[in-house]
Amino acid sequence: MSEPIRYRGRIAQIRICLGKLLRMFLYQNDWKALPMAAIIAGLVTFAVGNNLFKTQEGTLSGCFSLVCVCIWNGFFNSIQVVCRERPIIKREHRSGMHISSYIIAHMIYQMLLCLAQTVILLGICYIAGIRYPSHGLVTGQFIIDFGISMFLITYSADMISLAISCIVKNTTTAMTVMPFMLIFQLIFSGTLIYLDGPAEKLTSFTIAKWGLQDLCALCDYNSQPNVTMWNTAWQFREMEIDGVQPVKIIMDSVLEDNKLDDVLLESGKYNQKEEYAPTAENVLKCWAWMGGIAILFAAVAVGSLEFIDRDQR
Amino acid sequence: MVMNMNLSWLEPYITVASQIVLTVGLWAMLKKCGNKGWYALIPGFRWYALSDCVGRESSGTGAMIGELTYLMLNVLVLFVPAENPAVVLVLLADLVCRIFMAVYILRIAVGVCQVFNVKRYWSALWLFIPAVMACWFGFNSRMQPIYIDRYNDDGVLAGTRPAQLDEIIASHISEEDAAKPGLHVRLRERSAIAQFKKRYLLKDVHLDIPNGSLVLLLGGSGAGKTTLVNAINGYEKADADIYLNGSNIYENYDQMKYRIGFVPQHDLLRMNDSVNGTLNDAALLRLPADTPKAKRREIVDNVMETLGMGGRTGGLVAKKSGGQKKRISIGMELISDPDLFILDEPDSGLDGVIARELFEKLRQIADSGKIVLAITHTPDRVADLFDKVIVLARDSGRCGRLAFYGSPDEAREFFGRDTMERIVMCVNREEEGGEGRADEFINRYAAMINQRNNEKAEPAETGTAEEKPQGTAAAEKKPAEKTKPEKGNKQSGKNSGRKNKKKKKKNHKKGGSRS
Repeated sequence: MSEPIRYRGRIAQIRICLGKLLRMFLYQNDWKALPMAAIIAGLVTFAVGNNLFKTQEGTLSGCFSLVCVCIWNGFFNSIQVVCRERPIIKREHRSGMHISSYIIAHMIYQMLLCLAQTVILLGICYIAGIRYPSHGLVTGQFIIDFGISMFLITYSADMISLAISCIVKNTTTAMTVMPFMLIFQLIFSGTLIYLDGPAEKLTSFTIAKWGLQDLCALCDYNSQPNVTMWNTAWQFREMEIDGVQPVKIIMDSVLEDNKLDDVLLESGKYNQKEEYAPTAENVLKCWAWMGGIAILFAAVAVGSLEFIDRDQR
Repeated sequence: MVMNMNLSWLEPYITVASQIVLTVGLWAMLKKCGNKGWYALIPGFRWYALSDCVGRESSGTGAMIGELTYLMLNVLVLFVPAENPAVVLVLLADLVCRIFMAVYILRIAVGVCQVFNVKRYWSALWLFIPAVMACWFGFNSRMQPIYIDRYNDDGVLAGTRPAQLDEIIASHISEEDAAKPGLHVRLRERSAIAQFKKRYLLKDVHLDIPNGSLVLLLGGSGAGKTTLVNAINGYEKADADIYLNGSNIYENYDQMKYRIGFVPQHDLLRMNDSVNGTLNDAALLRLPADTPKAKRREIVDNVMETLGMGGRTGGLVAKKSGGQKKRISIGMELISDPDLFILDEPDSGLDGVIARELFEKLRQIADSGKIVLAITHTPDRVADLFDKVIVLARDSGRCGRLAFYGSPDEAREFFGRDTMERIVMCVNREEEGGEGRADEFINRYAAMINQRNNEKAEPAETGTAEEKPQGTAAAEKKPAEKTKPEKGNKQSGKNSGRKNKKKKKKNHKKGGSRS
């Protein structure tokens, strides 16, 4: 019996699929994801960038906004990429294309896209006047640690939407599911709404939680001053009790003694959070979770798309 | 005083009573519809059983899942303490479940109203008083089903019982026959489980197609054309032996899939990709890994040249015309130089001239020794190009079967019709505007083939058998009735097919168009 003919294997097919995706980047206007990322980043940094890295409140809201931008970018990058060409994939699968090669090619392509978006986001933040701290917890360089974190947030969101795109049959369903996923990420991040009990356990499955924890740890949230108490007290400055203004007296005394920074820093100490501990282990743990989520959903994508042959005609 | 009475204690009793009444009502309804009454006792399944009677099985499946989930949630909530926040999730799921069930039950109720010939607005009452409605339909003697659709109201689904026909073609294939060049199909059965039932999509399709044939696959909607080609190319395996030039397609699928080209009906191409890139990627996937780049390029160029697109592979796919896109789609499959080339409606969306041009290209491909099998719904404009016609028909049990296989002229004579489209009308169901004679022709064709095989076997025993190609039997036999074409079919007869083929080849060499 003659030797069976050898056709291109999985590795070689990854190259073929990747080449196709890079062509589509140019011809199918996928490149528009980059300027869109720049516009969103510009809007967000314009709104929340002033107090980033300066106060706990500014850092928390700024980091949360950046996490949202990353998740948004990630979701939009790949929510339609597979479902829009499902019949074509089915045809190519018939012709010998391996689904794993196709998904790995997508993973590589999306990695490049997310990397580009991260660089754009960091650049926009810098242009908007945000000055990054110099010390990084893992690599020693803050900008590199921060970049890796933002990349992982974007990429893991990207992999979730890639999996959704593989599971659903058409773009309409994909675009219907996506807002639910966004809402889930935001609500169960544990930032906007306080969660406890079983709901709190769900937060571990959100990128928003790990992303925010990661960025806050990197930004050294726990060492920053907290202005909430001072700002709240400021509103009651004129309050009189029996002809005396106790709040004003205390606040004036602090200001006269030049102790405001100390008070704010001391307030910050009372608002420290264990999960934002500025340690390399904490950051690495967040990276591991986000990396794990990305790998898990990439596996889901491959597994679900393997059933493409069962699509009804 | 009466107004202030608390009647909440009655609620569980009312629920149980309404369930009993509903069950009794459904029992009576199911019996009226010819189904088993005791199905009404099975939670969930009772809705499916009712939907089965009114041709709403998919809604029945939804209602069944809905009711079972609803019951499970009700059991679950008994074990979850009231103060547990998870109760909210259970109640939310319960609400969603109720909405789904309401929609599915409404759909079934619409079907019930149709079957019982009452106004559709009655179906709305099923949402509020299902138990009363079930009893009303079940016990009211004036409410009788005017028809029972145990399959599907639009008849799309294949049947669960193929028609019991008098003649069935023998299905075995000898090793000697399997080793012969060409395509040998011995499809005994192709079935699928749909809505909890085994449904027969195809049965007893046996063909021997020689290499170099351009074959037309004809059949009405739901006759199993696409199912047959998917079974032949190994994509949806059937209970069958399919041999292509001596190799069993199913057993050697990993290798054989590269020797079969399948062009889908729609242009499944990335419109924003370049034509060159599309073809090059197709070549990389379909050609052996050790094919040098220059050779690959040459193959792609030759294929596009064959399809009349030489030198026009620049630009994006989206910028090409419909005919050109179709050629690109065909080219992608042709690159691997397949032995069997299957095309699902390659002329859909193309005008007559372009379609003819395309089929002439397919004729050229067949003449190079390939088997080209094409499905088309407008066969008459290109009928002269085909060597063979396969006619599939849906029997009275809604199962696809072989109604004819032979040359186009033999087909015209066998069916007594002068065009391919009229042949399809002949076997189509009456609901589709056809003549509904599928069973008759399936039987007649099977009898003819069996008789021919017997005649062949008898002289073979004495060693004087003369081998005849399959498909000529139709011309040799005098059909019992309605064998004369309605309009002038002057070229009927034993040799007309061969004569035509010779004529076609002659024309082809001249490069002239055939009409």
